[in-house]
Amino acid sequence: MSAVQAKRMRADPSLIVVPYRRVSVAALATNVVLVLLGCFFVLPMLWMIFASLDANPDWAIKLPSLTLTNFADVIGTAGALSSFRSSLILAGATTVITTVLAVLAAYPLSRMHIPFKRGFMLAILFASGLPVSMLVVPVYQLYVYLGWLDSLYTTALFLAASSLPFAIWLMKNFIDAVPAELEHAAAIDGAGTVRILRQVVLPLTVPGIAVTAIYTFINAWGAFIIPFVLNSNPDDQPGPVEIYNFMGSHGLFKFGDLAVFSLLFSLPVIVLYLFMSRYFSGAFSFSGAVRG
Amino acid sequence: MLAEVKFEGVHKIFGTETAVEDLNLSVEAGEFMVLVGPSGCGKTTTLRMLAGLERPSYGRILIGDRLVNNVPPRFRDVAMVFQSYALYPHMNVHDNLAFGMRAHGAASLLVEQRVKETADVLGLGNLLKRRPSELSGGQRQRVALGRALIRQPQVFLMDEPLSNLDAGLRVQMRAELSRLHERFRVTTMYVTHDQVEAMTMGDRIAVMNSGRLQQVDVPETLYDNPVNLFVAGFIGSPRMNFIKGVLTTRDGKAAVRFMGATVPLSSSSKLIGDTADGDVTVGVRPEDMMWRKAAGPDSSLTFSAEVDVVEPMGHEAYVTVLCAGETVTSRFPPRSGVRTRERVDLALNPARLHLFDARTGESILQRPVAGSAEALKSAREAWIEESSAGRDLRPQAPVVPTQSEEV
Amino acid sequence: MAVVAGLGPRLDRERFQWSSLAMLTPALALLGLLFVFPVLYAGYLGFTNLALVGARSRDYSFTGLDNVVRMLGDYVFVKSAWLTLIFVVGSAIVGQSVLGMALALLLRNAVVPIRLIVGSIVIVAWVLPEITVALVWYAFSQAGGTLSILLRHSDTNFLVVVPMLIVSLANLWRNVAFSMLVFSAGLRNLPTEVLEAAEVEGASVWRRYRQVILPLLKPTILTNLLLVTILNLSEFTLIYAMTQGGPGIETMTLPLYVYQEAFVFHQLGYGTAISLVLVLIGAVFSLLFVRAARSQA
Repeated sequence: MSAVQAKRMRADPSLIVVPYRRVSVAALATNVVLVLLGCFFVLPMLWMIFASLDANPDWAIKLPSLTLTNFADVIGTAGALSSFRSSLILAGATTVITTVLAVLAAYPLSRMHIPFKRGFMLAILFASGLPVSMLVVPVYQLYVYLGWLDSLYTTALFLAASSLPFAIWLMKNFIDAVPAELEHAAAIDGAGTVRILRQVVLPLTVPGIAVTAIYTFINAWGAFIIPFVLNSNPDDQPGPVEIYNFMGSHGLFKFGDLAVFSLLFSLPVIVLYLFMSRYFSGAFSFSGAVRG
Repeated sequence: MLAEVKFEGVHKIFGTETAVEDLNLSVEAGEFMVLVGPSGCGKTTTLRMLAGLERPSYGRILIGDRLVNNVPPRFRDVAMVFQSYALYPHMNVHDNLAFGMRAHGAASLLVEQRVKETADVLGLGNLLKRRPSELSGGQRQRVALGRALIRQPQVFLMDEPLSNLDAGLRVQMRAELSRLHERFRVTTMYVTHDQVEAMTMGDRIAVMNSGRLQQVDVPETLYDNPVNLFVAGFIGSPRMNFIKGVLTTRDGKAAVRFMGATVPLSSSSKLIGDTADGDVTVGVRPEDMMWRKAAGPDSSLTFSAEVDVVEPMGHEAYVTVLCAGETVTSRFPPRSGVRTRERVDLALNPARLHLFDARTGESILQRPVAGSAEALKSAREAWIEESSAGRDLRPQAPVVPTQSEEV
Repeated sequence: MAVVAGLGPRLDRERFQWSSLAMLTPALALLGLLFVFPVLYAGYLGFTNLALVGARSRDYSFTGLDNVVRMLGDYVFVKSAWLTLIFVVGSAIVGQSVLGMALALLLRNAVVPIRLIVGSIVIVAWVLPEITVALVWYAFSQAGGTLSILLRHSDTNFLVVVPMLIVSLANLWRNVAFSMLVFSAGLRNLPTEVLEAAEVEGASVWRRYRQVILPLLKPTILTNLLLVTILNLSEFTLIYAMTQGGPGIETMTLPLYVYQEAFVFHQLGYGTAISLVLVLIGAVFSLLFVRAARSQA
C-alpha cells in the first residue's frame, strides 16, 4: 500500500531467498478476491479514460476509436482554463490559510499549558464533524451582510474555516510525535520558543505539514457546495461547479468533453496523492482517538 | 565560573504523588555528585528541577548564589546529557554541537573553533558531517556529551547517560567521563540507578529512595557505614546479607546472637546512642562471610552451612548457602570445587558486622572508618574487575537478586 | 492538590504563557467568525421564519417551535430522514466499514504487486473530486452504461430504478479507502508478539481474527465508525450531482433537503431547522460510539 511498506516488503530477504512458496488455497483466494474488487474500483474510472479518447463515446466502456479532438476541444475553451485558474486560487488560498493557522495553533495545544485544553480539543473534534449544510445558511447570511459574496478569496476563507478543525487535530498529532526531549535539550541549550519552533519542531514535522496541506488541498480542490452557494460569479467558477453545470447543460451530448474535463481536473490531486502516499498512511492511526 | 548547587527544603508533588520530599543537598563547586537510587526514587525529578524542566513545589534551588526556581532552562547556564541523547535528528554532528552556542549568539568564528576543539577531545573529528542516524550508539553518546561540553556551562547534568550503551562500551565511557571531569572540573550532577557507576565515578554519592534523600557521603563511607538498611542493601554487589538477630547486654558488654552464635561486639565499633536490647538486623557483606579455607586469622567465627547455589564469576564465585534457617551469600575464591548440597564451613570477622534496628532499619553501630582500608580497596577493585569482565556474562541470580542487575 | 502543612503556597502552579495565546489567536479568530458564530446563528435561525427573498428576508421573526411542528407534518422531511438513515447505515456504517476491513485484511496477505495496484486504485477513487465520482458513476449506471451491459439489462437506467442503491454504492466506492487506511494503520500497530503467540498456540485463522485481532482493534473500529458516520451524514455533492434528490424525492437525504428548502424554496429558517436535526442525529451517533469506547476501556 504505502511505498515505504512496499519497499520494506521487497527488501525482506525471507521473500527473496526462499526458493519456493507454498501456494495455499487461502492465499490464492485472497488474491483473486482482491483482483475482483480491484475491477469494481477500476471499471467506473476506465470509462472516463476511454471516453476521453473516443471520437464517439457513449455511457458504456468500449475500446475507443482513438482521437485527441476531445482534449483539443476542452483545452481550447476559455471556461475550462478559467475554472482551473479559479480552482487553483480557491484551493491554494484555502491550503495556505488552513496550514499556517493549523501549525500555529497545534503547537501550543500540543506542548503548552492551556486552561480547558482537553475540552477545547474535544470541541475541535466535534466541530470537524459538523455538517457543512448546517453552516451554509448562516454563513450565506453573514456574507450577504459583509458584502463578501462572489469572491474566490472570501469563499476560500470559509473553506479554510471549515477545514481548520480537522487540520489542527491532525497537526497536533504530528507535533505530539516529536519527542519532547528534543525541545528540552534545545531549551537547555539556550534556545527560545521561536528558535525551538523554527529550528527543531518545524523541520521535524515537515511530513506532517505536507500531509495536512495536501489533505486540505485535495478537499478544497473538490469542494462543491460552498463555492456553489457563496460564489455565483460566472467568470470564476471552480472546476467542480463548472463540471456540474456542464453535465446539466450539454452533458448528454458531449460525453467526450465531459470525460476529458473530469480527467484533467482529477490529475492534480492524483499526482499530489502519489507524491505524498508514503506519508499518508501514518496519518490514519486513530486507535483510541475516540477517548479524546 | 565554577558554581555550587544547593537544594534547600525542595519538594516536588505530581498530583497526589510526592516525587521528592524535603530535599536538602549541596553540591560543591567542581564536585562530581552522583544521585543514585532505584527507578521512581525521585532522582531524575531532582535533576530535571535543577535543569529547569520542572519547577519545585516548595523550597529553593540555587546555582551559585542565584535563586533559580523561576529561571527558565535557557538562562540557567547548565548543560544536560539525556538518557536518550536527544540529538537533533535533522542536523549533522557539527550543527548539533554548534546549536547551543549559536542560540547564545556566539560569533561564528568562535563556534567553529570550539566545535573543532570539542570534536577533537571526543574523537568526533571525522564524523562532523554525519547525521545522528548514521552514528553508532557510542558515537551518539559522545556527540551528546560534546553538545554539553562545548557550552562550558556552570553545571553539567547527566541523566543516566550510559544506560543505553552495551556493557563494554559503558565501562570505557565511565573511565572517559571521569577523565573529562578531572580535566575540566565542572560541577556535575550525575543520575544513575547503577551503584557500580555511582561508586566508581562519584566524588560523593547521594542515595535516594521513595523521594527521600537517605545518605550523602564519599563512596567509602557509604560502603562502610550505611545509615540504614536501604543504603546497605543498595550499595555493594552482591547485596549485603541481612540476618535476624538479638542484641543483648551483659556486664556492660554488648553481644549479638544470630545464626545460633553469640558474638561479642568488637571494641573498635560502638553502639549509637542508647540502643536498647532486643531484635536487630545483622548485616554481613558477602566478602566478610568467607570460606573457612580461604579466611585469615581475624575471622574467628565459624558457621557450618549447606551450599544451595554456586555462581562462578570467573575470578571468584558467589555461593549461596543455607545456615541455621537463613539464606546467606558469600564470595568464594575461584575453582573452590564446592557443589550444591555440600556442607562447608564459613568464617566471619566479628569486627565487620553491621547492626540495624529491626523496627526502623536505622544503623545502630558506628564502625571504624579506616579500620580496614586494605579490605575496602580490594573490594573496590573487585567491582571494577567484575564490571570490566562484562556483567552480561553473569548468570541470573535467582536466590539473591543483586542491585546492579536492576535495569 | 496536596498541600504540605506549613510550607505556604505551591510554587509550581502551571503558568499560562502568553505566547500560546498569540499562536492560537489567528485560528481562534477565523473559527470564531466563520464557525462558532454561524453555528450559534444557525441555532437561532432554525427557530425563525427567515426567507431568502421577499418580505421575510428582512422582516423575519422568532417563531418558536413552528418549524419543528412543520417538520413533523412534512412527509418529505420524514422520508428524507429515513433515506438519510438508510444511506448512513447501509453505505457508511455497514458497507464502508465491512469492505474497508476486508480490504485491509486482504491487502495484508496479498502478493506485493496486487497489494500495490489494488491499494492504489482504491485510494485514487478516494482522492478523486466528488464531482468526478458523480460523473463516472452516473455514466456507469445509465441505460446503455457499463453496469447495465454487465447485468444484461442494457435498457435499464439503474439510477432511476434503484437510485438509493446506486448512490450508496457510489459513495461506498469513493469513501471505503478511508476506512481501509484506518484499519490498515490499526492492524499495523497491533503487537506482533500477541498475533504470533496465537499462531504458535495453533488457533485457526478465523479464531485468531475473532478472538485476538477484533478485540484488539475495537478502539480503532469504534473510531472508524464515529468518523465515517459523521462524514457521511453530511454527504451532499455526490448525491446532488448524480440525482439532485430524484427521481421524485427518492434520494433526497437531509443535506439535500436543507439545500432545497433554503436555496430553491427560499425557506432559510426552515432549512436551518432541518440542518439542526442533522446535527442532532450526528450527536446521538457520536454519543453511542463514545460510550461504547468508554465501556470497554
